[in-house]
Amino acid sequence: MKRQNARTLALIVSILTYLVVGAAVFEKLESRQERSHKRRLDARKHELMRKYNLSRANFEELELVVLQLKPHKAGVQWKFAGSFYFAITVITTIGYGHAAPSTDSGKVFCMFYALLGIPLTLVMFQSLGERINTFVRYLLHQAKKCLGMRRTEVSMANMVTVGFFSCMSTLCVGAAAFSHCEGWSFVHAFYYCFITLTTIGFGDYVALQKDDALQNDPRYVAFCFVYILMGLTVIGAFLNLVVLRFLTMNTEDERRDAKQRALMTVGTSRGEVARLIPVSASTSSTPVAQDSAKAKDLKGAYTEVLHFQTICSCLWYRSKEKLRGSTPTLLPQELTLSDAYLQQNMNRPHYMEPGSTGCVCSPRPCASISSITTGLHLLSPFSVFKRRSSV
Amino acid sequence: MKKQNVRTLSLILCMFSYLLVGAAVFDALESESESSRRRVLELKRSEMKKKYRFSEDDYREIERVVLQAEPHRAGRQWKFAGSFYFAITVITTIGYGHAAPGTDAGKVFCMFYAVLGIPLTLVMFQSLGERMNTFVRYLLHKAKQCTGVRRTEVSMENMVLVGFLSCIGTLCVGAVAFSYFEGWSFFHAYYYCFITLTTIGFFGDFVALQKTEDLQEKTPYVAFSFMYILVGLTVIGAFLNLVVLPQMRRQQCMLLSPLEPIAFTCVCVMKRREISGGHIPFILTVDGKKIKLKHPPYSPIKTPRKHVSASH
Repeated sequence: MKRQNARTLALIVSILTYLVVGAAVFEKLESRQERSHKRRLDARKHELMRKYNLSRANFEELELVVLQLKPHKAGVQWKFAGSFYFAITVITTIGYGHAAPSTDSGKVFCMFYALLGIPLTLVMFQSLGERINTFVRYLLHQAKKCLGMRRTEVSMANMVTVGFFSCMSTLCVGAAAFSHCEGWSFVHAFYYCFITLTTIGFGDYVALQKDDALQNDPRYVAFCFVYILMGLTVIGAFLNLVVLRFLTMNTEDERRDAKQRALMTVGTSRGEVARLIPVSASTSSTPVAQDSAKAKDLKGAYTEVLHFQTICSCLWYRSKEKLRGSTPTLLPQELTLSDAYLQQNMNRPHYMEPGSTGCVCSPRPCASISSITTGLHLLSPFSVFKRRSSV
Repeated sequence: MKKQNVRTLSLILCMFSYLLVGAAVFDALESESESSRRRVLELKRSEMKKKYRFSEDDYREIERVVLQAEPHRAGRQWKFAGSFYFAITVITTIGYGHAAPGTDAGKVFCMFYAVLGIPLTLVMFQSLGERMNTFVRYLLHKAKQCTGVRRTEVSMENMVLVGFLSCIGTLCVGAVAFSYFEGWSFFHAYYYCFITLTTIGFFGDFVALQKTEDLQEKTPYVAFSFMYILVGLTVIGAFLNLVVLPQMRRQQCMLLSPLEPIAFTCVCVMKRREISGGHIPFILTVDGKKIKLKHPPYSPIKTPRKHVSASH
């Protein structure tokens, strides 16, 4: 089966399993407490009904009023500050629901607002997250230099560690602040921050709902907004570092398959020139089946190119670092490379797979080298090269 | 580098202006209705307080009881079906909040559950979405061939159009279904589907499966709701995979050498040499242009071999 299909099926199965397991655990943890809580509340309810001689209908009426007043209890929700808070919960998809548009026109506007706002926000957080990651990498690099370490490149492991600790500290800072300002326990405040910054947003705990804070305490209001947006940026940076590459795995595989297919069927003009199919930014991957001539060695060459691409770049870095320009390298001015191609290539991750010619180096070290380090854990490709040159 | 900073800054500015505009519009649309409703409800409340002669403390007690009993109104939320529903709202980040863990252990488990579940879900939806896009592209290609269109390539515009129409179609199907089962108006059901499938997930206005004992009794409807949420998120995810992900991908943290295209080319040159066995008067760049070289290209393979033997 095609790799992408296998991967997708495996993911579906794991999600369903994950849901079933989660459901079982939640049931175990919450069901009994739910029952006892309900019993206690019912008992209390009947007490009150008896005390004030309320019929069931009366109590239901009362219930309705109380429930409808619930959002109003927390203060005015739709003045500017409250609307801003609401707009944040919409475009970040947190969606507490502490306030929700009640007018139909509000609902319609909400939908259009989300339609444009959510992709805008997604792209913005990823953009800002990437900038932050780059900056952090720069800082780490300088720090390593200052500490006089021998290898000053910043590895993926460094970045992930720093990212993880920033996420944890963001949550802890928020937990401390909200537990103080809202009167929650630290655990509950931490839970609130977590649920907010993962954009789940249950709404069981919502900030700015005490004592009309939205109207009365502008500094606290500003803090909450800043916290939510900055926290989402930190989480977004971490996701950009760790998860984003996995979101495009299938697309990259498709692209590579299409290229290989195209290479199989592309004829060689004048029998000598290897015409390489430029990577197209669009996802149209209908194979270009123009010529029937099979260029087996060209295909093999192409596959090896995909390999050596990684190794070459590693080596380029290595030679640049170690030899400080004493090694002649291919100068950029001698080649014309279209900007678009450069841009596209810069964005591709490198999941190298062995081609049908059976590449010498295994994909994993190649992939790990190209996508994790900036080229300095290079013993494997060198040993590969040794083998390669002896072949 | 500078271009990326500019891009990021302009996105931040866009978002802030978007928030400000949104806040102003929501304020204009909702504020008045909110205050009038509030007045009506508060009037009703004082009427009832007078009628039944509640003491302040007792009224607060009643309030507390009613608010805490709210989730129980909809039936058992934490039996298996309800827990499954809850687990879905966690890992898809919809997070209605119609049910939220009451125990501290539940809250802690919920956090760990989300930490692993959310990225897994993101990857799965994008993976499945990409498969769907590929399949749709294949179908469109075949359709173009069958209808005898001259250019049978499927363009991005075609894909975006089909994707957009499938999203609208999914929302409408859901709206029809939920308006029938839950007794909502079509508009409100559409709103519910939209809020769910964008994973915003408000609580308070519309949440499915909350009519008493639905979770326990109407099993086919329960299964339909779960399937709808998961399939709907896939369709939306496929559309995002098509349109938004490439934008996000451009912001991917770059850890690779920028000279890869050059490396690419030089290897092609190497290979070309092997194939033709002779001196190449030109090299072929990756976008198909030929460049005359002043001197033969330097083969990077030679250097490391030398370098390796020197250092090892």
